Amino acid sequence: MARMKFLCDADRCIECNACVTACKNEHEVPWGINRRRVVTLNDGKPGERSVSMACMHCTDAPCAAVCPVNCFYTTADAVVLHSKDICIGCGYCFYACPFGAPQYPKVGNFGSRGKMDKCTYCAGGPESDFSTIEYEKYGSNRLAEGKLPLCAEMCSTKALLAGDGDMIAEIYKQRVIKRGYGSGAWGWKTAYRETVAI
Amino acid sequence: MRDDRKDEMGRRHFFRALGGGSVAAAAAITAQPMIATPAQAYDPGAEETKARYRESDHVKAFYRTNGYETLKKI
Repeated sequence: MARMKFLCDADRCIECNACVTACKNEHEVPWGINRRRVVTLNDGKPGERSVSMACMHCTDAPCAAVCPVNCFYTTADAVVLHSKDICIGCGYCFYACPFGAPQYPKVGNFGSRGKMDKCTYCAGGPESDFSTIEYEKYGSNRLAEGKLPLCAEMCSTKALLAGDGDMIAEIYKQRVIKRGYGSGAWGWKTAYRETVAI
Repeated sequence: MRDDRKDEMGRRHFFRALGGGSVAAAAAITAQPMIATPAQAYDPGAEETKARYRESDHVKAFYRTNGYETLKKI
């Protein structure tokens, strides 16, 4: 079974924010909510890196672990989705998420932020596929159309990869082999040990 | 001074009657045994969680174009 993943090749990202714009337009995301954003490190300095960030659809999602009303579920494609009918907007998931993915329509204290909104991997929500209610709550369902998330599909520099985790890992691996170096990401050696060259 | 309101229910009588009624209602509620129901986690169902991804021509084109400079050598 394919596991849907995002992978941003930081060596290619030029911080054009096209992924952010595409996401907002595709799903008609309201003002104040960014399901995807581009984070730039060392802006204007040598070694500047930009990474496009959204929900990473974690295998053991911390947002789901802390949700007091259990509104999260994982699909067979390993996409983490949630039900806005059940969400109470408590904000626990925002604190739990290491990527800052959960977003809220209003600024406020506990329970006054409105229903949480986040990247759906262009896979809609619990409502029936292609229904109006699904689109209004969660946006379009490109995965059911046989497509991939629009943010990745329209990345001009092909920095943002999406799709089957094994497939995009292979694409990235080949890029790293061709370049001769890895991403240099913090924690790389911790995660993969120093014996792993790529 | 004449008091015309003697026959009507006064403010204090009204609240007393209301309070008495509430206490009686509360007593009736608490008299019922508290039955714990099992917690129900959200289950969206098999239809909602089924796999939607398929390696369509569209998706294959995405993989091909993203790996064009490297994967073609494999």
